[in-house]
Amino acid sequence: MSDKKARITVTIDPHLTAYAEGLVATGKAPSVSAVINDALQEKAEHDHRARRAWDAAAAKSDPEKGARMAAHVDRQLARL
Amino acid sequence: MSDSSPTPLIVDTSVLIAVTRTDPGVINLMQIYDSRGQPLVIPALAITGASLDAHSEDADELLAGLEMLEAVTVAPLNGARQAARVARIMDGTGLAAWDAHVAAVAAAAKCPVLTLDPARWQKAARVFDPPLQVVEIADPDDG
Repeated sequence: MSDKKARITVTIDPHLTAYAEGLVATGKAPSVSAVINDALQEKAEHDHRARRAWDAAAAKSDPEKGARMAAHVDRQLARL
Repeated sequence: MSDSSPTPLIVDTSVLIAVTRTDPGVINLMQIYDSRGQPLVIPALAITGASLDAHSEDADELLAGLEMLEAVTVAPLNGARQAARVARIMDGTGLAAWDAHVAAVAAAAKCPVLTLDPARWQKAARVFDPPLQVVEIADPDDG
């Protein structure tokens, strides 16, 4: 993955475009691109936290118990 | 069921609460379903109920992590008609809003409810025509 920023075309809801342009106009952000970049960065960090939380729980899960539960559910589904 | 694509299971609030409590069996069951490609549908209000029960950011992260599994789809509560439908189900069944949304999704999709607490669904399932199908998660070894 290159560190060079990529130019892409995206479609954004009008109120979000206006919000991003407002941030630039008031000096809170250097560019609309920077606003979008920050928003995506925040989403990526949030998703990584969620995935780490799940992975940590999954590492402590009980495969034998899970398999017995799955078999119990399967038997019921087969009767539906 | 001979269809090649498995019938989706509608996950109720009891299962999500077990996830927030990092129940080792239930977490593994979710992993098994994800690896099998067994579709799991989580009604949005069921997440609300589980989050309210847990009252912790760690639990919310776990629920967000569950949502990220490929097999999982979150069913939104979309618009006034669906919201009113949930209200009518609450009224008719006595279910909390969280599980009334589960019931609404299960009835609309004609898919079974997956629960750790089948007693919760015993009366409510019969209010629907056809009755909701309810599938219990349990470990037979727990006796």
